[in-house]
Amino acid sequence: MAQIRLKNVSKRWNNFVGVDNFNLDIADQEFLVLLGPSGCGKTTTMRMIAGLEDITEGEIWIGDRLVNKLEPKDRDISMVFQSYGLYPNMTVYENIRFPLKVRKVPQDQHHERVMAASKMVELDDFLQRRPAALSGGQRQRVALARAIVREPNAFLMDEPLSNLDAKLRVSTRAQIKNLHHTLKRTTIYVTHDQIEAMTLADRVVVMSKGLIQQVGTPMEIYDRPANTFVASFIGSPAMNLVHGNIADGVFTGDKIRIEGLSKATNGAVTLGFRAEDATLAEGQGQIEAPIYSVELLGEATMISMRVAGELVSIKVGKDYRAEIGDSAKFNVPPAACHLFDRTSGARIVAD
Amino acid sequence: MSYATLTQKRPLPLNLLISLFIILWVVLAAFPFFWTVWGSFKVEPDFFSRESWWNAIFGTYTQAQTGGTFTGDGYYGAWVTREFWRAVMNTAIVTVSVTVISLTLGTLGGYALARSGQRYAFWILIAALVFRAMPHITLVSGYLLPFFQLNIWGVLPTSIIVLVAINQPFTLWMLHSFFLSIPKDLDESAMVDGCTRFQAFRMVIIPVMWPGVVTTGLFSFLLAYNDFATTSMLLSADNQTMVPKISSFLGSVQEAGNVMYAVAAVVSATVPLFILVLFFQRQIVSGLTAGAVKG
Repeated sequence: MAQIRLKNVSKRWNNFVGVDNFNLDIADQEFLVLLGPSGCGKTTTMRMIAGLEDITEGEIWIGDRLVNKLEPKDRDISMVFQSYGLYPNMTVYENIRFPLKVRKVPQDQHHERVMAASKMVELDDFLQRRPAALSGGQRQRVALARAIVREPNAFLMDEPLSNLDAKLRVSTRAQIKNLHHTLKRTTIYVTHDQIEAMTLADRVVVMSKGLIQQVGTPMEIYDRPANTFVASFIGSPAMNLVHGNIADGVFTGDKIRIEGLSKATNGAVTLGFRAEDATLAEGQGQIEAPIYSVELLGEATMISMRVAGELVSIKVGKDYRAEIGDSAKFNVPPAACHLFDRTSGARIVAD
Repeated sequence: MSYATLTQKRPLPLNLLISLFIILWVVLAAFPFFWTVWGSFKVEPDFFSRESWWNAIFGTYTQAQTGGTFTGDGYYGAWVTREFWRAVMNTAIVTVSVTVISLTLGTLGGYALARSGQRYAFWILIAALVFRAMPHITLVSGYLLPFFQLNIWGVLPTSIIVLVAINQPFTLWMLHSFFLSIPKDLDESAMVDGCTRFQAFRMVIIPVMWPGVVTTGLFSFLLAYNDFATTSMLLSADNQTMVPKISSFLGSVQEAGNVMYAVAAVVSATVPLFILVLFFQRQIVSGLTAGAVKG
C-alpha cells in the first residue's frame, strides 16, 4: 500500500528554483506521469521522492511514513534510470539479483524471484551475459527486471525510453503498461514525450519552470488544457493558438472570424483549436488564408497557413489536394474552441 | 585501417626512416639495462675498464681473477656480505605500506571529492596539485628537526608517513578522475536498490574501478620503490631501503669491489618491477585507457 503525498515540496539551489511548492496526492496503484520540457523540475521531483535529492522545503509521505530524512534504501521504492545504471561487472542475472542480495532477502528465494522477474521482461536467454553485450532495449529490460524483482511499494521511472529507437520505444512502452497492470504498484514516470504520457498515464502532471501547470487524466488535459502552455505542449501537432479580440461572442483577428462563442468575455484573448477540429468550408470560411505548406502524413494531410501572425496547422482528408499559395477556407465549430487570457495564458472558463 | 595497408601506402624511405627511429629508440632505452645486466657478472676492472671496453664484454680480468668469464661475486658481496636482503625487506615493508595506505585514503577521498557537489572539493584538489608539484625534498627538510626532536628519525614508519604525504595528492587526483568517469547513476541505482553510501562504494563502484585502483597502486608502489630523496634523508644506515643502499655502495669507492655490489644490487632491484608489470599489465593497460566503464 503506497499512496505518495507531496506537501508544499520545494527545491532550491541558492537562488535557482528547481521545484516550487509542489502539492500532489498520488493514489495507491496509480500510474502517474510527470510531463514537461527539460529543466521543468520533473526529474528533480522524482529524485526527491527517491531520496537522491535533498528537499529544501515541504514534506514527502510514502504510505504513512514521512520520508524527508530517510535514505533511499529505506524508502522501499525502486527506480529505473534514463541511462539504466546497470552494474557493468555483473551478469544480467547478478544485476537482477543485486537488490535481493543487499536487502538480505533469504537466499533460497533469490533464484525463483530473479527468474520470475526476467520472465516478465523476456530476458531468459541473456541471463549470463554482461550489460556490455546487450542492446539498448535489452539493457532497459534488465533495469526493469531489477526494479520489479523486489516488489517495492512504488516504481519510479526516469525517462526510461528516451535512449531507445522509435520502434523499440513503442513495444517497451506497451510492456511497461502491462507490467503496471500485472504488478499493481504505484508508478511515477517522468517523460518529456507527451505521447508516452497520454498512452501510459492514469493521471498526468504537466510541469513548467518548477510549477505544476495542470493535473488531470490524459483526456482532461487534452480536451481542457488549463493554460496556453499545456495547450501548446500536449497533442501532435500542438493546439493552434491565435491572438485576437472577442466581443459579443465573436472572435476576430487577421484572416479569422469565429462567431457563436461565449458572450461572457470581451477584449483581447487567445483562441485555441486543434488541427483535427477544423473542417473544410463551403462558400464563406471562418478562416481564410493562403496555404503556407502541405504535408502528406499518409492517413491524412496537414496544411499550415498563417493566421493572425501565427502558423496554424489544420488536418484534412488524405485526398485533399492543394498547392502552396492557394487560398483555403476552413470552419472551426465554436464548441471546439478554447479561450485563454491573453496576458496570463490561463483558460477562460465559459459561464 | 590496418597496420599492413598503412605500411604499404607509405613510401619506402619513410618506412626505413620509421624503422630506423624505432630501432634507435629501443637501443637507447634498452642498451644501458642490458649492459648493466651483462656487466653485473664481471669484476670491477672489466666493467669499469680503463684499457678497453671490450674487456667488459669478454671479461679478461674476470677470467684472470676468478677463473671463469662470469662471476657471481658482485651478487654474493651485495646480498650476503653487505646484507642487501635487509634493504630488500625494508623496501618491501615501505612500498607495501605506502601503497596500501595511499590507496585506502585515495579511494575514499577520491570518491568523496568526485561525488561532492561542494565548491571546496575543487580547492582541495588544487591544493593537492600544488603540494604534488613541490620537490619532495621540501617536505623532508621541514620534517627533519621535528623528527629528531620526537626521536622518530631513522625508522621505517616515519619514512612511510612522509612518502604517503608526498604520494597522496597524486593518488587523490588520479582516483578522483577515475571516479568521475563512472556515471553517478551507478551509485544512485545501488542506493535505491538498498545499499548505504558505503556499500554502494564497496559493492558497486570499487569492482568497476579495479583497473584504476591497480594503475594508481602501481604508480604509488613505484614512487615508494624508487624514492631516494626521502629515504636517504630519513632512514638510518641499518634501516635503509634498496635505493639509498645502492647509493651507499657507490659512495665508498675506496673499497674495492663495492661498485660491483651496486651494479649487482641495481639488477636485483629491477627484477621485481618486471614481474610486477608483467603480472598486472592487463589491468594497467585498461586503467591507462580508462573510460571503458560505460554502463
